[in-house]
Amino acid sequence: MAEVNVFKKNVEPQKRNPKLEDMKHTMKLFFKNKLAFSGFVVMMIYFFIALLDFVYPQYLGVTNANTMLSFLYGQQPQLVPPSPPTLSKGIMYIFGTTQYGIPVLPAMLAALKFDMAYSIAIVAIGVAIGMVIGTASGYLGGMVDEFMMRITDIFFSIPQIVLALAIIYTLGDNFIFIVVAFMIIWWPIYARLSRSLALSTKEMRYVEAATASGSSKFRNIFVHVFPNVLSPIFVQISLDIGIIVQLFASLEFIGLNRGNPYLPELGILINWGNQYIVYGAWWPIIIPSIFLVVFTIAVSVMGDGLRDVLDPKLRR
Amino acid sequence: METEVKQSEVKEENYVEVRDLVTQFFTFKGIVKAIDGVDLSVKRGEVFGLVGESGCGKSVTATSIMDLVPDPPGRIVRGKIYIDGFNIISDLDKLAQIKVKSETNVKVKRNKRLIKRHNYILSKIRGDKVAMIFQEPFLALNPVLSIGYQIVENIMLHSRIDIINSIIRRETLGEDGVDELIQKIVKTKDYDERRRIVNRWSREYGVPDSDESIYDLINTSEDINYVKKELLSLLAEEKTGIDLQPLSVAREYYKADDELFALNLNLIEAEANRNESEAEHLRQQISQKRSEMRSKFMSFTIKHKLMRKRMDRPLEKESRRRALELLNLVNIAGPERVIDSYPHELSGGMQQRAMIAMALAANPKLLIADEPTTALDVTTQAQILELIKELNVVTGSSVLFITHDLAVIAEMCDRVGVMYAGNLVEQTSVKEIFHDPKHPYTMGLMRAIPRADKKRSADQKLESIPGTVPNLITPPSGCRFHPRCKFAMDVCSEKKPKLVEVEPGHKVACFLYSREYVGEPAGEAQ
Amino acid sequence: MELRYFVLRRVLLIIPTVIGITVLVFILLRSFPDSLLVSAYINPHSTLPRQEQIQIAKEQLGLNLPVPVQYFYYISNLLKGNWGFVTKPFPGPVLLGIELFMPNSIQLAIFSSILSILLAIPIGTYIGSRPNTFADQAGRVFSLVGYAMPPFVLGILLILAFGQGVSNWGGAVLPFNGVVNVPTPVPHWLLNQETGFIISSPTHLVFFDALIHGDPRVAWSAFLHLVLPVVTLTYTILAGLLRFIRAGMVDATNQEYVKTARSKGVPEGMIIKRHIRRNALIPTITVMGLLIAALLSGVVVIEILFTYHGLGWFAVTATLDNQIYGVLDTTLVFGLILVFANLIVDIVYAFMDPRIRY
Repeated sequence: MAEVNVFKKNVEPQKRNPKLEDMKHTMKLFFKNKLAFSGFVVMMIYFFIALLDFVYPQYLGVTNANTMLSFLYGQQPQLVPPSPPTLSKGIMYIFGTTQYGIPVLPAMLAALKFDMAYSIAIVAIGVAIGMVIGTASGYLGGMVDEFMMRITDIFFSIPQIVLALAIIYTLGDNFIFIVVAFMIIWWPIYARLSRSLALSTKEMRYVEAATASGSSKFRNIFVHVFPNVLSPIFVQISLDIGIIVQLFASLEFIGLNRGNPYLPELGILINWGNQYIVYGAWWPIIIPSIFLVVFTIAVSVMGDGLRDVLDPKLRR
Repeated sequence: METEVKQSEVKEENYVEVRDLVTQFFTFKGIVKAIDGVDLSVKRGEVFGLVGESGCGKSVTATSIMDLVPDPPGRIVRGKIYIDGFNIISDLDKLAQIKVKSETNVKVKRNKRLIKRHNYILSKIRGDKVAMIFQEPFLALNPVLSIGYQIVENIMLHSRIDIINSIIRRETLGEDGVDELIQKIVKTKDYDERRRIVNRWSREYGVPDSDESIYDLINTSEDINYVKKELLSLLAEEKTGIDLQPLSVAREYYKADDELFALNLNLIEAEANRNESEAEHLRQQISQKRSEMRSKFMSFTIKHKLMRKRMDRPLEKESRRRALELLNLVNIAGPERVIDSYPHELSGGMQQRAMIAMALAANPKLLIADEPTTALDVTTQAQILELIKELNVVTGSSVLFITHDLAVIAEMCDRVGVMYAGNLVEQTSVKEIFHDPKHPYTMGLMRAIPRADKKRSADQKLESIPGTVPNLITPPSGCRFHPRCKFAMDVCSEKKPKLVEVEPGHKVACFLYSREYVGEPAGEAQ
Repeated sequence: MELRYFVLRRVLLIIPTVIGITVLVFILLRSFPDSLLVSAYINPHSTLPRQEQIQIAKEQLGLNLPVPVQYFYYISNLLKGNWGFVTKPFPGPVLLGIELFMPNSIQLAIFSSILSILLAIPIGTYIGSRPNTFADQAGRVFSLVGYAMPPFVLGILLILAFGQGVSNWGGAVLPFNGVVNVPTPVPHWLLNQETGFIISSPTHLVFFDALIHGDPRVAWSAFLHLVLPVVTLTYTILAGLLRFIRAGMVDATNQEYVKTARSKGVPEGMIIKRHIRRNALIPTITVMGLLIAALLSGVVVIEILFTYHGLGWFAVTATLDNQIYGVLDTTLVFGLILVFANLIVDIVYAFMDPRIRY
């Protein structure tokens, strides 16, 4: 009997899912990093505001999803100079108003929903395309690989905003096509990353062992290569979301998105505010800018933290 | 004015003496007591082997001798390290105050000014008096700097006066100098002796001796005038005709700099001995020397700062010549090609040879070899070992050889220290350690190696020591070996044994040899 | 392999990328209807009858031929210098616009990248060699903010802080609109007669042209107009560079060869300068290509913000004014600039890291 017990003792740790244990450990390390954790908290706050706005838009003051005109109660938009921050008109006016007399705070809260939605959509589609193409070309190698890499080279050889300008100009200048343009620009990043990861995973012993035991190429890709590619991709996503929001705002700032000129979006708000700097109105531009910068800082801090805990070299 | 470094109470024969060395690493998991009171000494000219299992503190001992322990997390906490009779870490408690709140919470408060001085002193000692060869040459060589640069750098740091001397000697060498050499050569008929004379001469005057034609000339030609003419033409080729005036100023400056260093050494010694009056006197001398140097070498230092490259060019050229000689010395084929190549272009064995050449650049009197062959393949290992042994004989410098391979110890060393879990447990001659090991751990080690010279009966197996090396965050109390020791007594877990001389030249740290605890010496234990 | 073979191979590797960029631009062009392509291919200054011009344009574009053949017509037109025409911001050939506006953009990019490299190396060395000190933390916050702040936001903040016309904040400090304060009467060299823009000749860079023509007042004004855009772009690039140099320094400090250098007695300052920094800069150079791409993106936005008449401004106004060749030709030019910049980065990389040459 004693022997059986010893046997059990030896086997027990292996029964636990090592991946799950690893995840737990990773989470623990991540939450220990105060900076990364605060980034995570800020990101979560932004996310819940966006969610709330999506479910109960009237709480935050913006009812129509696509325009800010709901503030004007059906009137023609009239250029009204911004009024300074005040509490006398209610909490919504704490940051003053911007063009058309729209209060800054609810406009920003409404903008969050769009920022969240498009950035997540862009990385999701980008990752889906990029990972499949990158992993496949890295794993298959040869001519396919060479060809795919030359194609990604092209995308890396044109500055992102310029390429976005060209694509948006070709597709048509509105919100949806800007998002599509970003998807087209963003997949090569993930394709490159997953290709290099797939290349290094390919050389691993366990993949060789799987091949030797008769596992097919495609099975190998899904069972062995994909999981290894995932965590660095995840880090890359968290670093990219901030940059996407930045670039999106930049594009709107230089005057694109003419199809939806009243879309609640941080770039548009900053662009509106920019016209009033000369009159000494700082709030319609500073407040949305801070909102934007805090978001990107939070996301990139979180991304750095994630990389630190997921990268086995930096771990511990 | 020559300043003598005061000799302390260290035996003249010991080049390096380590006393009661304690090195700890303050990690998040706790304090790693990596070295716990090690005493060891390396005599001038000998090869001292340090052996033990991996993780027993051999490498930490080696790095501690040069105070190369990475800080943070590690620090030398206590002890004395005498190099050439001088304690290099005398002001430990002033350099950094270590407050241990708990195992995982240690605050180290460093005194930046003193650490700066400490680093200044050490930078003069490292490479000059003690040099080190590392385990993995491909990691230890800087990948973006050429081999030549890395060797020249070392020469330029420590042998500038030498180099200037040899340039000046060569440039001022006239016919009489060559005459003198020829007279010496004529006196002897032995080819090898002549070769040695020429070799010494050429090294002294910085004339390349690799040219075999000189030897042939000397050996075959009987016409002295012809030989003289040839040598003079060779010399003329080497003479660059540079302005010697700035070089002699530079030599003066470097000499003064060395004197300043010597004063600093004495100051530290005085401060350690709490000799306040002498320290004050030395401090005055130092500041006087400084201001003296400042006024005397003002134009030199300014020029040197502005045109460093141009002023150092002749020195660098000479250093490069030395580097080539060194590469020849370590048996690298085609040194002219190797000197301009980068580490990744060389094989592992070549890299290690280049590493050794680099270490020898400033003629250190001690070479620390930290498992220099572990990362190499077997045939190269033998060559490198042979080279180190050869260099020990040729240059007369001592070697501290660290390895876990007892066969290498038997091959290479004169004396051996055995380490276990941060303690030196036995220290004796290589013969004694194999024939009469005293410490139970050493006995275990000896029984774990297969031997061709002793017959084993069929049922006798190779033994291993039960258990593993303990975790050094929470080491066993008393003697750190007692949980694995066959002869463990009660006292072993209570008290820590001291390293005691039980036979002439044979020191052991074990209670088995103490009359206090054992009735009679347990020599028959095995 | 020697350095020059590496350079040669790297230069040859440009060819497929450049072809790829032209293919991409061609695909974008072809997605527009023929009539639009043709009408934008007509010289607005030409006196020929319109019908005849359309015929000539159709032949030049090869519109009756299959699409792959059209690509070769496109390439040959590019090589011949027939890059199409714009009606806004001035009526005339696109190539003229590129020629006039590109120097300003290149000037912004080069000034800010040189400035940021000159600042990043010493600062990065300083903070990277003393990790977790106050200076290091400050440097990290500085680079994090720069990384997270889009260049136009920083530009706006700088305009608020130092810009002209913020009367309630104390008045004029630095100009933030245009390339130069145009003196009256306008000097002949300052105004481009063909387009009516303030584009000076011969270098098209007002600052240098003013020096050439001996007008220090205009040169000073041009210099002041450069300050805010250059500072904004510099900060963006500096933030990225600092991040990588610091990480590289910390990584290199823990390498074995640093221990070797210490064991040789190399003084601490020399270790940092010779042994650590050189190794730390290598990974930084590999991301330099991405940073230059970000810099060029920044140039586009900054030129709009400061109304600095450069290629980015030209591209954006062309987009907003539906000038098809204005948009797509500038895309091509930006692509070529970036390819060239990346070539230089790779050559510097090979120069710095002897291992890459193999």
